[in-house]
Amino acid sequence: MRPGFLLGEIGNGLRRNVSMVVSVVLVTMVSLFFLGIGLLAQQQVSTAKGYWYDRVQVSIFLCTPDSTDVASCAGGAVTQDQRDQIAADLEGLDPLVAEVYYESNADAYERFREQFRNSPVLDSIPQEAIPESFRVNLSDPSRYEVIRQAFEQAPGVESVEDQREVVDKLFTFLGVLSVGALALAVAMVACAVLLISTTIRLTAWSRRRETAIQRMVGASAFSIYLPFILETVLATLLGAGLAIALLWGTVRFGITGFLSELLAGESGLISLVGERDLWLITPFLVGGALLLAVLTAWTALRRHVRV
Amino acid sequence: MITLEHVSLRYTKGDPWALQDVDLDVTRGEFCFVVGQSGSGKSSLLRLVIVENAPTLGRVLVAGHDLGQLPRRRVHVLRCQIGTVFQDFRLLSGKTVSQNVAYVLQVLGAPGHEIRQRVPETLALVGLENKGKRLPHELSGGEQQRVAIARAMVNKPPILLADEPTGNLDPDTSAEIVAILERINRSGTTVLMATHDTTIVDQFRKRVVQLHEGRVVRDQAEGGYREVVRS
Repeated sequence: MRPGFLLGEIGNGLRRNVSMVVSVVLVTMVSLFFLGIGLLAQQQVSTAKGYWYDRVQVSIFLCTPDSTDVASCAGGAVTQDQRDQIAADLEGLDPLVAEVYYESNADAYERFREQFRNSPVLDSIPQEAIPESFRVNLSDPSRYEVIRQAFEQAPGVESVEDQREVVDKLFTFLGVLSVGALALAVAMVACAVLLISTTIRLTAWSRRRETAIQRMVGASAFSIYLPFILETVLATLLGAGLAIALLWGTVRFGITGFLSELLAGESGLISLVGERDLWLITPFLVGGALLLAVLTAWTALRRHVRV
Repeated sequence: MITLEHVSLRYTKGDPWALQDVDLDVTRGEFCFVVGQSGSGKSSLLRLVIVENAPTLGRVLVAGHDLGQLPRRRVHVLRCQIGTVFQDFRLLSGKTVSQNVAYVLQVLGAPGHEIRQRVPETLALVGLENKGKRLPHELSGGEQQRVAIARAMVNKPPILLADEPTGNLDPDTSAEIVAILERINRSGTTVLMATHDTTIVDQFRKRVVQLHEGRVVRDQAEGGYREVVRS
Protein backbone atom coordinates (compact mmCIF):
# COMPACT_ATOMS: atom_id res chain seq x y z
CA MET A 1 0.00 0.00 0.00
CA ARG A 2 1.50 3.32 -1.09
CA PRO A 3 1.72 6.24 1.39
CA GLY A 4 -0.57 8.53 -0.65
CA PHE A 5 -3.30 5.90 -0.86
CA LEU A 6 -2.83 5.02 2.81
CA LEU A 7 -3.25 8.68 3.82
CA GLY A 8 -6.38 8.89 1.70
CA GLU A 9 -7.83 5.81 3.41
CA ILE A 10 -7.00 7.28 6.83
CA GLY A 11 -8.59 10.62 5.87
CA ASN A 12 -11.76 8.84 4.68
CA GLY A 13 -11.90 6.81 7.89
CA LEU A 14 -11.52 9.88 10.09
CA ARG A 15 -14.16 11.82 8.13
CA ARG A 16 -16.69 9.00 8.30
CA ASN A 17 -16.35 8.52 12.05
CA VAL A 18 -15.58 12.04 13.17
CA SER A 19 -17.76 11.89 16.29
CA MET A 20 -16.21 8.61 17.45
CA VAL A 21 -12.71 9.92 16.74
CA VAL A 22 -13.44 13.05 18.80
CA SER A 23 -14.66 10.78 21.63
CA VAL A 24 -11.40 8.81 21.54
CA VAL A 25 -9.40 12.06 21.59
CA LEU A 26 -11.33 13.40 24.59
CA VAL A 27 -11.33 10.18 26.60
CA THR A 28 -7.61 9.73 25.96
CA MET A 29 -7.01 13.32 27.02
CA VAL A 30 -8.98 12.98 30.28
CA SER A 31 -7.49 9.57 31.19
CA LEU A 32 -3.92 10.73 30.53
CA PHE A 33 -4.56 13.96 32.42
CA PHE A 34 -5.63 12.06 35.53
CA LEU A 35 -2.78 9.59 35.09
CA GLY A 36 -0.39 12.53 34.87
CA ILE A 37 -1.88 14.20 37.94
CA GLY A 38 -1.58 10.92 39.87
CA LEU A 39 2.05 10.47 38.84
CA LEU A 40 2.89 14.11 39.60
CA ALA A 41 1.22 13.82 43.02
CA GLN A 42 3.37 10.77 43.76
CA GLN A 43 6.38 12.66 42.55
CA GLN A 44 5.35 15.55 44.83
CA VAL A 45 5.21 13.21 47.85
CA SER A 46 8.63 11.84 47.02
CA THR A 47 10.12 15.34 46.41
CA ALA A 48 8.56 16.79 49.55
CA LYS A 49 9.68 13.82 51.67
CA GLY A 50 13.27 14.23 50.57
CA TYR A 51 13.08 17.97 51.11
CA TRP A 52 11.38 17.92 54.50
CA TYR A 53 13.17 14.90 55.95
CA ASP A 54 16.42 16.77 55.38
CA ARG A 55 15.05 19.68 57.39
CA VAL A 56 12.78 18.24 60.05
CA GLN A 57 14.19 18.06 63.49
CA VAL A 58 13.69 16.12 66.63
CA SER A 59 12.67 18.58 69.33
CA ILE A 60 13.62 17.93 72.94
CA PHE A 61 11.34 20.19 74.95
CA LEU A 62 12.66 21.06 78.38
CA CYS A 63 10.60 21.41 81.56
CA THR A 64 8.78 24.67 82.30
CA PRO A 65 7.66 25.68 85.79
CA ASP A 66 4.17 24.43 84.86
CA SER A 67 5.12 20.95 83.62
CA THR A 68 5.35 19.24 87.02
CA ASP A 69 2.77 16.60 85.99
CA VAL A 70 5.57 14.92 83.98
CA ALA A 71 7.77 12.66 86.17
CA SER A 72 11.04 13.97 84.78
CA CYS A 73 9.91 17.55 85.51
CA ALA A 74 8.99 16.92 89.17
CA GLY A 75 11.53 19.52 90.27
CA GLY A 76 9.96 22.28 88.19
CA ALA A 77 11.71 24.16 85.40
CA VAL A 78 14.88 22.69 83.92
CA THR A 79 18.06 23.59 85.76
CA GLN A 80 21.34 24.71 84.24
CA ASP A 81 22.97 21.40 85.25
CA GLN A 82 20.21 19.39 83.59
CA ARG A 83 20.51 21.57 80.48
CA ASP A 84 24.28 21.04 80.34
CA GLN A 85 23.87 17.31 80.86
CA ILE A 86 21.38 17.04 77.98
CA ALA A 87 23.72 19.04 75.72
CA ALA A 88 26.62 16.79 76.69
CA ASP A 89 24.56 13.63 76.11
CA LEU A 90 23.59 14.93 72.65
CA GLU A 91 27.23 15.53 71.80
CA GLY A 92 27.93 11.97 72.87
CA LEU A 93 25.49 10.71 70.24
CA ASP A 94 27.65 11.97 67.37
CA PRO A 95 27.56 10.97 64.44
CA LEU A 96 23.79 10.23 64.67
CA VAL A 97 23.29 13.77 65.91
CA ALA A 98 24.43 15.90 63.02
CA GLU A 99 23.55 19.30 64.41
CA VAL A 100 22.10 20.72 67.62
CA TYR A 101 20.43 24.08 67.95
CA TYR A 102 19.37 25.40 71.33
CA GLU A 103 16.22 27.51 71.35
CA SER A 104 15.94 29.57 74.50
CA ASN A 105 12.68 30.39 76.20
CA ALA A 106 12.85 33.94 74.85
CA ASP A 107 13.47 32.76 71.27
CA ALA A 108 10.67 30.20 71.54
CA TYR A 109 8.27 32.83 72.88
CA GLU A 110 9.20 35.21 70.10
CA ARG A 111 8.54 32.50 67.47
CA PHE A 112 5.26 31.59 69.17
CA ARG A 113 4.11 35.23 69.08
CA GLU A 114 5.00 35.45 65.38
CA GLN A 115 3.18 32.21 64.50
CA PHE A 116 0.04 33.05 66.47
CA ARG A 117 0.04 36.80 65.95
CA ASN A 118 -3.62 36.75 64.89
CA SER A 119 -4.82 34.49 67.69
CA PRO A 120 -7.02 36.01 70.42
CA VAL A 121 -5.44 33.74 73.11
CA LEU A 122 -1.95 35.07 72.44
CA ASP A 123 -1.94 37.50 75.34
CA SER A 124 -3.24 34.89 77.82
CA ILE A 125 -0.17 32.65 77.36
CA PRO A 126 2.74 33.71 79.59
CA GLN A 127 6.34 33.46 78.34
CA GLU A 128 7.16 30.81 81.03
CA ALA A 129 4.60 28.44 79.50
CA ILE A 130 6.55 28.17 76.24
CA PRO A 131 9.26 25.53 76.67
CA GLU A 132 12.88 26.04 75.70
CA SER A 133 14.20 23.20 73.57
CA PHE A 134 17.08 21.50 71.80
CA ARG A 135 16.41 21.16 68.04
CA VAL A 136 18.33 18.16 66.79
CA ASN A 137 19.10 17.31 63.16
CA LEU A 138 19.81 13.61 62.71
CA SER A 139 22.19 12.21 60.13
CA ASP A 140 19.65 9.38 59.68
CA PRO A 141 16.14 10.70 60.47
CA SER A 142 14.68 7.18 60.57
CA ARG A 143 16.66 6.50 63.79
CA TYR A 144 14.55 8.91 65.78
CA GLU A 145 13.77 6.17 68.35
CA VAL A 146 17.36 6.27 69.64
CA ILE A 147 16.93 9.91 70.64
CA ARG A 148 13.48 9.32 72.09
CA GLN A 149 14.68 6.44 74.29
CA ALA A 150 17.76 8.37 75.42
CA PHE A 151 15.97 11.57 76.43
CA GLU A 152 12.28 10.90 77.07
CA GLN A 153 12.72 10.14 80.76
CA ALA A 154 15.83 12.25 81.27
CA PRO A 155 15.71 14.81 84.09
CA GLY A 156 14.69 18.24 82.79
CA VAL A 157 13.06 16.86 79.61
CA GLU A 158 9.30 17.31 79.27
CA SER A 159 8.86 15.58 75.96
CA VAL A 160 10.62 14.46 72.78
CA GLU A 161 8.84 15.05 69.47
CA ASP A 162 9.70 13.98 65.97
CA GLN A 163 8.49 16.54 63.43
CA ARG A 164 8.37 13.75 60.89
CA GLU A 165 5.16 12.54 62.49
CA VAL A 166 3.55 15.88 61.64
CA VAL A 167 4.74 16.01 58.02
CA ASP A 168 3.94 12.34 57.54
CA LYS A 169 0.26 13.19 57.99
CA LEU A 170 0.60 15.65 55.10
CA PHE A 171 2.35 13.02 53.00
CA THR A 172 -0.39 10.48 53.78
CA PHE A 173 -2.96 13.01 52.60
CA LEU A 174 -1.00 13.63 49.38
CA GLY A 175 -0.57 9.88 48.94
CA VAL A 176 -4.33 9.33 49.20
CA LEU A 177 -4.86 12.09 46.63
CA SER A 178 -2.40 10.51 44.23
CA VAL A 179 -3.93 7.03 44.65
CA GLY A 180 -7.36 8.55 44.04
CA ALA A 181 -6.16 10.26 40.85
CA LEU A 182 -4.48 7.06 39.67
CA ALA A 183 -7.62 5.00 40.40
CA LEU A 184 -9.66 7.50 38.39
CA ALA A 185 -7.04 7.29 35.63
CA VAL A 186 -7.30 3.49 35.56
CA ALA A 187 -11.09 3.76 35.20
CA MET A 188 -10.67 6.32 32.42
CA VAL A 189 -8.06 4.18 30.66
CA ALA A 190 -10.52 1.27 30.79
CA CYS A 191 -13.10 3.61 29.20
CA ALA A 192 -10.56 4.55 26.53
CA VAL A 193 -9.84 0.89 25.74
CA LEU A 194 -13.55 0.07 25.44
CA LEU A 195 -14.19 3.18 23.36
CA ILE A 196 -11.31 2.43 20.97
CA SER A 197 -12.61 -1.12 20.62
CA THR A 198 -16.14 0.12 19.86
CA THR A 199 -14.82 2.75 17.44
CA ILE A 200 -12.84 0.11 15.55
CA ARG A 201 -15.92 -2.07 15.40
CA LEU A 202 -18.07 0.75 13.99
CA THR A 203 -15.35 1.85 11.57
CA ALA A 204 -14.89 -1.72 10.40
CA TRP A 205 -18.64 -1.99 9.84
CA SER A 206 -18.77 1.24 7.85
CA ARG A 207 -15.83 0.07 5.73
CA ARG A 208 -16.84 -3.59 5.40
CA ARG A 209 -17.13 -3.35 1.59
CA GLU A 210 -13.64 -1.94 1.23
CA THR A 211 -12.09 -4.47 3.58
CA ALA A 212 -13.96 -7.33 1.86
CA ILE A 213 -12.54 -6.20 -1.50
CA GLN A 214 -9.05 -5.76 -0.07
CA ARG A 215 -9.21 -9.25 1.35
CA MET A 216 -10.61 -10.70 -1.88
CA VAL A 217 -7.87 -9.23 -4.07
CA GLY A 218 -5.07 -10.45 -1.82
CA ALA A 219 -4.16 -7.63 0.55
CA SER A 220 -2.27 -8.90 3.58
CA ALA A 221 -3.82 -8.73 7.06
CA PHE A 222 -1.28 -6.08 8.03
CA SER A 223 -2.14 -3.78 5.14
CA ILE A 224 -5.87 -4.18 5.83
CA TYR A 225 -5.34 -3.37 9.52
CA LEU A 226 -2.86 -0.53 8.98
CA PRO A 227 -5.31 2.35 8.20
CA PHE A 228 -7.44 1.43 11.23
CA ILE A 229 -4.40 1.29 13.50
CA LEU A 230 -2.98 4.58 12.21
CA GLU A 231 -6.35 6.31 12.67
CA THR A 232 -6.43 5.10 16.29
CA VAL A 233 -2.82 6.15 16.82
CA LEU A 234 -3.55 9.63 15.40
CA ALA A 235 -6.58 10.10 17.66
CA THR A 236 -4.61 8.84 20.67
CA LEU A 237 -1.65 11.10 19.89
CA LEU A 238 -3.97 14.09 19.61
CA GLY A 239 -5.57 13.16 22.96
CA ALA A 240 -2.13 12.68 24.53
CA GLY A 241 -0.96 16.04 23.17
CA LEU A 242 -3.97 17.80 24.66
CA ALA A 243 -3.46 15.99 27.99
CA ILE A 244 0.19 17.07 28.13
CA ALA A 245 -0.82 20.65 27.28
CA LEU A 246 -3.43 20.55 30.06
CA LEU A 247 -0.89 19.12 32.52
CA TRP A 248 1.65 21.74 31.49
CA GLY A 249 -0.94 24.46 32.10
CA THR A 250 -1.75 23.00 35.51
CA VAL A 251 1.93 22.79 36.50
CA ARG A 252 2.97 26.11 34.96
CA PHE A 253 0.12 28.29 36.18
CA GLY A 254 -1.39 26.22 39.00
CA ILE A 255 1.66 24.87 40.82
CA THR A 256 4.79 26.77 39.75
CA GLY A 257 2.85 29.98 39.41
CA PHE A 258 0.03 30.18 41.95
CA LEU A 259 0.58 27.47 44.59
CA SER A 260 4.35 27.85 44.85
CA GLU A 261 4.12 31.59 45.46
CA LEU A 262 1.27 31.13 47.91
CA LEU A 263 3.11 28.53 50.02
CA ALA A 264 6.47 30.25 49.75
CA GLY A 265 4.87 33.34 51.25
CA GLU A 266 3.62 31.32 54.22
CA SER A 267 6.55 29.19 55.23
CA GLY A 268 9.50 30.00 53.04
CA LEU A 269 10.26 26.30 52.91
CA ILE A 270 8.56 24.52 50.04
CA SER A 271 9.56 22.30 47.16
CA LEU A 272 6.88 21.54 44.56
CA VAL A 273 6.86 19.51 41.36
CA GLY A 274 7.66 21.55 38.28
CA GLU A 275 7.75 21.40 34.50
CA ARG A 276 10.88 19.23 34.62
CA ASP A 277 8.90 16.53 36.46
CA LEU A 278 6.20 16.75 33.78
CA TRP A 279 8.73 16.33 30.96
CA LEU A 280 10.14 13.32 32.80
CA ILE A 281 6.79 11.49 32.81
CA THR A 282 5.71 12.70 29.33
CA PRO A 283 7.48 9.92 27.33
CA PHE A 284 5.89 7.29 29.57
CA LEU A 285 2.43 8.84 29.24
CA VAL A 286 2.64 9.14 25.45
CA GLY A 287 4.44 5.81 24.95
CA GLY A 288 2.02 3.97 27.22
CA ALA A 289 -0.99 5.52 25.49
CA LEU A 290 0.35 4.58 22.05
CA LEU A 291 1.14 1.02 23.12
CA LEU A 292 -2.30 0.61 24.63
CA ALA A 293 -3.96 2.10 21.51
CA VAL A 294 -2.07 -0.21 19.13
CA LEU A 295 -2.72 -3.32 21.25
CA THR A 296 -6.41 -2.47 21.69
CA ALA A 297 -6.84 -1.68 18.00
CA TRP A 298 -5.02 -4.86 16.93
CA THR A 299 -7.13 -7.02 19.28
CA ALA A 300 -10.37 -5.36 18.15
CA LEU A 301 -9.39 -5.74 14.48
CA ARG A 302 -8.64 -9.42 14.90
CA ARG A 303 -12.07 -9.78 16.41
CA HIS A 304 -14.13 -7.60 14.10
CA VAL A 305 -12.34 -7.55 10.73
CA ARG A 306 -12.08 -10.76 8.80
CA VAL A 307 -8.87 -11.11 6.80
CA MET B 1 -4.52 -25.25 -11.97
CA ILE B 2 -7.33 -26.19 -9.56
CA THR B 3 -7.40 -29.72 -8.13
CA LEU B 4 -9.73 -31.22 -5.55
CA GLU B 5 -8.89 -34.71 -4.28
CA HIS B 6 -11.62 -36.61 -2.38
CA VAL B 7 -12.82 -33.34 -0.88
CA SER B 8 -15.67 -33.32 1.60
CA LEU B 9 -16.94 -30.25 3.44
CA ARG B 10 -19.26 -29.92 6.38
CA TYR B 11 -19.73 -26.49 7.97
CA THR B 12 -20.75 -27.79 11.39
CA LYS B 13 -20.47 -31.21 12.91
CA GLY B 14 -23.82 -32.97 12.62
CA ASP B 15 -24.96 -30.86 9.62
CA PRO B 16 -25.41 -32.46 6.19
CA TRP B 17 -22.32 -32.52 3.94
CA ALA B 18 -22.02 -29.45 1.68
CA LEU B 19 -19.57 -31.40 -0.52
CA GLN B 20 -18.93 -35.15 -0.53
CA ASP B 21 -15.88 -36.91 -1.96
CA VAL B 22 -15.42 -34.39 -4.78
CA ASP B 23 -12.66 -35.07 -7.30
CA LEU B 24 -12.02 -32.30 -9.80
CA ASP B 25 -9.11 -31.18 -11.93
CA VAL B 26 -9.36 -27.92 -13.86
CA THR B 27 -6.30 -27.43 -16.03
CA ARG B 28 -4.57 -24.17 -16.95
CA GLY B 29 -6.55 -22.15 -19.50
CA GLU B 30 -9.73 -24.19 -19.14
CA PHE B 31 -13.29 -22.75 -18.93
CA CYS B 32 -15.52 -24.80 -16.68
CA PHE B 33 -19.16 -24.32 -15.65
CA VAL B 34 -20.16 -25.70 -12.25
CA VAL B 35 -23.90 -26.28 -12.37
CA GLY B 36 -26.56 -27.60 -10.05
CA GLN B 37 -29.60 -26.56 -8.10
CA SER B 38 -29.46 -24.09 -5.23
CA GLY B 39 -27.78 -25.81 -2.28
CA SER B 40 -26.03 -28.36 -4.47
CA GLY B 41 -22.57 -27.11 -3.32
CA LYS B 42 -21.48 -24.80 -6.18
CA SER B 43 -20.63 -21.82 -3.97
CA SER B 44 -19.07 -24.10 -1.33
CA LEU B 45 -16.71 -25.42 -3.99
CA LEU B 46 -15.66 -21.90 -5.01
CA ARG B 47 -15.21 -20.88 -1.36
CA LEU B 48 -12.72 -23.72 -0.91
CA VAL B 49 -10.65 -22.41 -3.82
CA ILE B 50 -10.35 -18.90 -2.35
CA VAL B 51 -9.66 -20.32 1.13
CA GLU B 52 -12.85 -18.95 2.65
CA ASN B 53 -13.31 -22.43 4.07
CA ALA B 54 -11.04 -25.42 4.58
CA PRO B 55 -12.16 -28.90 3.52
CA THR B 56 -13.25 -31.25 6.29
CA LEU B 57 -11.62 -34.10 4.36
CA GLY B 58 -9.41 -34.31 1.27
CA ARG B 59 -6.94 -31.99 -0.40
CA VAL B 60 -7.27 -28.79 -2.45
CA LEU B 61 -4.45 -27.52 -4.70
CA VAL B 62 -4.68 -24.12 -6.40
CA ALA B 63 -1.99 -22.56 -8.63
CA GLY B 64 0.61 -24.92 -7.21
CA HIS B 65 -0.32 -24.29 -3.55
CA ASP B 66 -1.51 -27.15 -1.37
CA LEU B 67 -4.08 -25.18 0.62
CA GLY B 68 -3.86 -27.56 3.59
CA GLN B 69 -0.18 -26.66 3.94
CA LEU B 70 -0.59 -22.94 3.23
CA PRO B 71 -0.03 -20.86 6.40
CA ARG B 72 -2.80 -18.40 7.21
CA ARG B 73 -0.41 -15.46 6.75
CA ARG B 74 0.36 -16.58 3.16
CA VAL B 75 -3.26 -16.92 2.02
CA HIS B 76 -3.20 -13.36 0.59
CA VAL B 77 -0.41 -14.40 -1.78
CA LEU B 78 -2.71 -17.05 -3.24
CA ARG B 79 -5.65 -14.65 -3.43
CA CYS B 80 -3.56 -12.28 -5.56
CA GLN B 81 -3.66 -15.02 -8.21
CA ILE B 82 -7.44 -15.34 -8.19
CA GLY B 83 -9.92 -12.82 -9.53
CA THR B 84 -13.44 -13.14 -8.14
CA VAL B 85 -16.80 -11.97 -9.51
CA PHE B 86 -20.07 -12.20 -7.60
CA GLN B 87 -23.75 -12.02 -8.48
CA ASP B 88 -24.21 -8.74 -6.54
CA PHE B 89 -21.22 -6.92 -8.15
CA ARG B 90 -19.92 -5.54 -4.79
CA LEU B 91 -18.75 -2.20 -6.19
CA LEU B 92 -17.84 0.79 -4.01
CA SER B 93 -20.74 3.17 -4.53
CA GLY B 94 -18.79 6.36 -3.75
CA LYS B 95 -16.07 5.66 -6.30
CA THR B 96 -16.19 6.03 -10.08
CA VAL B 97 -15.75 3.08 -12.42
CA SER B 98 -12.04 3.87 -12.86
CA GLN B 99 -11.55 4.34 -9.13
CA ASN B 100 -13.25 1.00 -8.41
CA VAL B 101 -10.87 -0.75 -10.76
CA ALA B 102 -7.82 1.21 -9.62
CA TYR B 103 -8.65 0.43 -5.97
CA VAL B 104 -7.32 -3.12 -6.36
CA LEU B 105 -3.95 -1.94 -7.65
CA GLN B 106 -3.74 0.75 -4.99
CA VAL B 107 -4.44 -1.77 -2.25
CA LEU B 108 -1.71 -4.00 -3.65
CA GLY B 109 0.73 -1.10 -3.77
CA ALA B 110 1.14 -0.76 -7.55
CA PRO B 111 2.96 2.39 -8.67
CA GLY B 112 0.95 5.26 -10.13
CA HIS B 113 2.15 4.90 -13.72
CA GLU B 114 1.16 1.23 -13.72
CA ILE B 115 -2.31 2.10 -12.41
CA ARG B 116 -2.75 4.81 -15.04
CA GLN B 117 -1.82 2.32 -17.77
CA ARG B 118 -3.66 -0.78 -16.60
CA VAL B 119 -7.04 0.69 -15.61
CA PRO B 120 -7.99 2.00 -19.10
CA GLU B 121 -6.63 -1.21 -20.67
CA THR B 122 -8.83 -3.37 -18.47
CA LEU B 123 -11.88 -1.16 -18.93
CA ALA B 124 -11.37 -1.53 -22.70
CA LEU B 125 -11.24 -5.32 -22.24
CA VAL B 126 -14.79 -5.26 -20.84
CA GLY B 127 -16.05 -2.55 -23.24
CA LEU B 128 -16.28 0.29 -20.73
CA GLU B 129 -13.48 2.50 -22.01
CA ASN B 130 -15.81 5.53 -22.19
CA LYS B 131 -17.47 5.10 -18.81
CA GLY B 132 -14.54 5.45 -16.45
CA LYS B 133 -15.91 8.58 -14.79
CA ARG B 134 -19.39 7.22 -14.12
CA LEU B 135 -20.53 6.18 -10.65
CA PRO B 136 -21.88 2.63 -10.24
CA HIS B 137 -25.50 3.78 -9.76
CA GLU B 138 -25.34 5.50 -13.17
CA LEU B 139 -24.69 2.15 -14.88
CA SER B 140 -26.97 -0.74 -15.89
CA GLY B 141 -26.67 -4.10 -14.13
CA GLY B 142 -24.70 -5.55 -17.04
CA GLU B 143 -22.30 -2.61 -17.00
CA GLN B 144 -21.83 -2.91 -13.25
CA GLN B 145 -20.95 -6.57 -13.68
CA ARG B 146 -18.43 -5.59 -16.36
CA VAL B 147 -16.83 -3.21 -13.86
CA ALA B 148 -16.68 -6.09 -11.37
CA ILE B 149 -14.98 -8.25 -14.02
CA ALA B 150 -12.52 -5.46 -14.81
CA ARG B 151 -11.74 -5.13 -11.12
CA ALA B 152 -11.18 -8.88 -10.84
CA MET B 153 -8.87 -8.90 -13.89
CA VAL B 154 -6.90 -5.67 -13.49
CA ASN B 155 -4.23 -7.50 -11.50
CA LYS B 156 -3.98 -10.11 -14.31
CA PRO B 157 -4.66 -13.17 -12.14
CA PRO B 158 -4.27 -16.60 -13.81
CA ILE B 159 -7.58 -17.78 -12.34
CA LEU B 160 -11.02 -16.15 -12.51
CA LEU B 161 -13.84 -17.43 -10.30
CA ALA B 162 -17.38 -16.29 -11.06
CA ASP B 163 -20.19 -17.12 -8.65
CA GLU B 164 -23.54 -16.76 -10.45
CA PRO B 165 -22.31 -13.65 -12.34
CA THR B 166 -25.45 -13.56 -14.50
CA GLY B 167 -27.91 -14.20 -11.69
CA ASN B 168 -29.20 -10.59 -11.67
CA LEU B 169 -29.10 -10.02 -15.43
CA ASP B 170 -31.45 -10.47 -18.38
CA PRO B 171 -30.61 -13.23 -20.95
CA ASP B 172 -28.99 -10.93 -23.54
CA THR B 173 -26.85 -9.14 -20.98
CA SER B 174 -25.94 -12.49 -19.43
CA ALA B 175 -24.69 -13.71 -22.80
CA GLU B 176 -22.59 -10.53 -23.16
CA ILE B 177 -21.05 -11.09 -19.73
CA VAL B 178 -20.17 -14.70 -20.44
CA ALA B 179 -18.79 -13.64 -23.83
CA ILE B 180 -16.43 -11.33 -21.95
CA LEU B 181 -15.43 -14.19 -19.66
CA GLU B 182 -14.81 -16.37 -22.71
CA ARG B 183 -12.62 -13.67 -24.22
CA ILE B 184 -10.63 -13.48 -20.98
CA ASN B 185 -10.35 -17.27 -21.01
CA ARG B 186 -8.95 -17.24 -24.55
CA SER B 187 -6.11 -15.06 -23.31
CA GLY B 188 -5.03 -17.93 -21.01
CA THR B 189 -6.96 -17.29 -17.81
CA THR B 190 -8.57 -20.33 -16.19
CA VAL B 191 -12.27 -19.60 -15.60
CA LEU B 192 -14.46 -21.48 -13.13
CA MET B 193 -18.05 -20.27 -13.21
CA ALA B 194 -20.86 -21.42 -10.92
CA THR B 195 -24.28 -20.97 -12.55
CA HIS B 196 -27.77 -22.35 -12.91
CA ASP B 197 -28.40 -20.37 -16.08
CA THR B 198 -29.59 -23.03 -18.55
CA THR B 199 -29.41 -20.83 -21.62
CA ILE B 200 -25.85 -19.72 -20.98
CA VAL B 201 -24.55 -23.26 -20.40
CA ASP B 202 -26.31 -24.54 -23.50
CA GLN B 203 -25.12 -21.60 -25.61
CA PHE B 204 -21.41 -21.67 -24.74
CA ARG B 205 -20.85 -25.46 -24.68
CA LYS B 206 -17.93 -25.59 -22.26
CA ARG B 207 -16.89 -28.24 -19.77
CA VAL B 208 -19.75 -28.82 -17.31
CA VAL B 209 -19.34 -30.19 -13.79
CA GLN B 210 -22.72 -30.94 -12.25
CA LEU B 211 -23.19 -31.12 -8.50
CA HIS B 212 -26.13 -32.72 -6.74
CA GLU B 213 -26.33 -32.75 -2.94
CA GLY B 214 -22.62 -32.05 -2.74
CA ARG B 215 -21.51 -34.83 -5.08
CA VAL B 216 -20.18 -34.57 -8.64
CA VAL B 217 -22.78 -36.40 -10.69
CA ARG B 218 -21.51 -35.39 -14.11
CA ASP B 219 -18.26 -34.07 -15.57
CA GLN B 220 -18.71 -33.50 -19.30
CA ALA B 221 -16.65 -31.71 -21.92
CA GLU B 222 -18.66 -29.31 -24.11
CA GLY B 223 -21.78 -30.17 -22.13
CA GLY B 224 -25.14 -28.47 -21.93
CA TYR B 225 -27.58 -27.85 -19.11
CA ARG B 226 -30.34 -30.16 -20.47
CA GLU B 227 -28.29 -33.27 -19.77
CA VAL B 228 -28.24 -32.07 -16.19
CA VAL B 229 -32.01 -32.10 -16.01
CA ARG B 230 -32.23 -35.54 -17.62
CA SER B 231 -29.52 -37.15 -15.45
